[in-house]
Amino acid sequence: MDKFPILSRFQYDCHVKVVETDVGETITQLAMNCASHSIGIHVKDQPGKVLRVRKTSDTDDQPPLRGDITVGEAGLIMYDCVDVYFSDPES
Amino acid sequence: MALLERNEWYDIARDTNWTPTYVSQENLFPPTMSDPYQIPIDEWETFDEPYKVSFREYVRTQREKDGSAYSVKAALSRSRFYDQACEGWASVLKLHYGTVALTEYQACQFQARMVRFGPSPSMRNMATFGMLDEMRHAQLQLFFPHELVHRDRQYDWAHEAAHTNNWAVIGGRHAMDDIMMCRDAVTGSLMVSFAFETGLTNLQMIGLSTDAANMGDFTFSNLITSIQSDEARHAQLGTPTIEIMVRNGYKEDAQKILDIAFWRVWRLFSVSVGIPMDYYIPLEQRHMSFKEFMHEWVNRQYVRQVEDLGLAKPWYWQHFLDDIENHHHCQQGGIWSWRPTVWWNPPGAVGPKERQWLEKKYPGWNDSYGTYWDVITENLLADREEKTHPECVPIICNMCQIPISNRPGKAWKARPYQFEHEGRRYNFCTEPCRWIFTTDPNRYKDHETIVDRMYSGEIQPPDLDGVLKYMGIGVVSEGGRDGYNYQWIEGFRSAAAE
Ligand SMILES: [Fe+2]
Ligand SMILES: [Fe+2]
Ligand SMILES: [Zn+2]
Repeated sequence: MDKFPILSRFQYDCHVKVVETDVGETITQLAMNCASHSIGIHVKDQPGKVLRVRKTSDTDDQPPLRGDITVGEAGLIMYDCVDVYFSDPES
Repeated sequence: MALLERNEWYDIARDTNWTPTYVSQENLFPPTMSDPYQIPIDEWETFDEPYKVSFREYVRTQREKDGSAYSVKAALSRSRFYDQACEGWASVLKLHYGTVALTEYQACQFQARMVRFGPSPSMRNMATFGMLDEMRHAQLQLFFPHELVHRDRQYDWAHEAAHTNNWAVIGGRHAMDDIMMCRDAVTGSLMVSFAFETGLTNLQMIGLSTDAANMGDFTFSNLITSIQSDEARHAQLGTPTIEIMVRNGYKEDAQKILDIAFWRVWRLFSVSVGIPMDYYIPLEQRHMSFKEFMHEWVNRQYVRQVEDLGLAKPWYWQHFLDDIENHHHCQQGGIWSWRPTVWWNPPGAVGPKERQWLEKKYPGWNDSYGTYWDVITENLLADREEKTHPECVPIICNMCQIPISNRPGKAWKARPYQFEHEGRRYNFCTEPCRWIFTTDPNRYKDHETIVDRMYSGEIQPPDLDGVLKYMGIGVVSEGGRDGYNYQWIEGFRSAAAE
């Protein structure tokens, strides 16, 4: 698998971080991958919440990506930026 | 033989100019090196610098200044000041010398460009003194830290930093190459003498020498005062140049030039001055916050000066005001977190008392930057030091070369400002950094940030060790660790125990 860098804009974090992913990684895995560089490092965990991923936009209103699709299927390429954010499990 | 008074010969000597006959004016002063605006020569001959000095006077004054700086250094070199100085202050010195010493040589080269290619004879005359000034600044700031190298190898970065690819150095080099090394004499004099020296550094030095005196570092305080007195003179090269440009219909160009340079220098300045003032200098010795300093010394004066010249404050003034309360807090976090990548030992220094001070000076600090340090503090209290070292890198701005960061916590402001150009995607920290790129993409498009270099194959192996070595860490000296060995968390431990 060819790894490539995408940008993780993790909710409440101070820095936009470079996270290595590959086209076969699922969005759920990508969320965990990004979380490992933010939660417990620069961002406090929020037990009971789940993480969702959406493409970063100027207006912060992109719909969340489905967790079971892959990074490749979501069309993410090098230096694309994603928001990773806490959400209620049922919402 | 009696000497003439300066005012009896100065104007005629200064304004002596050639009318070339063997080569054309254009060959003697190529527009790309001299004046791309092609303002007529009689306009340039009206250039009148406010501060006048003869060579004889210059040499006498400089000799006195040098004599005083070196004798204070010699007198205090037997004192135990540097043995006892806290690592916070040592960080200020290491950061300063590493970023400034050889930049002064670049400034010397830039002044030399004005000496040779300045379109006005008085500009060339005045820049000659500026060139000699900058040579002196480089020499002083290479010599002074040299005696500290045997105590601490990190002081060697004064000599070495400019020759490395450390990320912070790349940031400085990118900006200085842009505003000083790769500009014609006229544009450069606006960027360097006005935006950089008048706008920011001249005043920064006043603050820095006060801080040094408060710390009891009279050697450094004296050194900075000595340099500042030169700066105050040669920084005046910008004003007459702007007047001539505005009068000749180049007001919009002048405005754009200043706006580019002011933002470029500001992004570096807030890291190299804001972090020391609000974090590295121990609480007891802080004389004012960085924000207070900026408002009192820089903002009001800069705005007054540009308005006096018929120009306006930069279009991004609101972004700038916000950045004053934000950028350096983010970078204190980033530099501390990625401390092995720098050549000084940045203290975290956000214990309970410091946080109180920060909250008072920057209302809302705890709810934002505080949430970042809460996680770090918890890790340190629970003996999870390894969790304070991120295993990834932050994305770096393709203009200022600084990690893309912004207010953490509820505000969650960090975001990249992207731009596509000729099939390449660029990431910027803010709108002004992106705007600068769009003013002249050809100028900037081929540069790669340290992160770009990890993925373009330039850095091998492209892992943390590879990057550190590429940046000179472990080569020039060891990288940074917490300057106070995490002592600053003890206040939280005792609070928890109560
Ligand atoms: Fe200088
Ligand atoms: Fe200077
Ligand atoms: Zn930037």
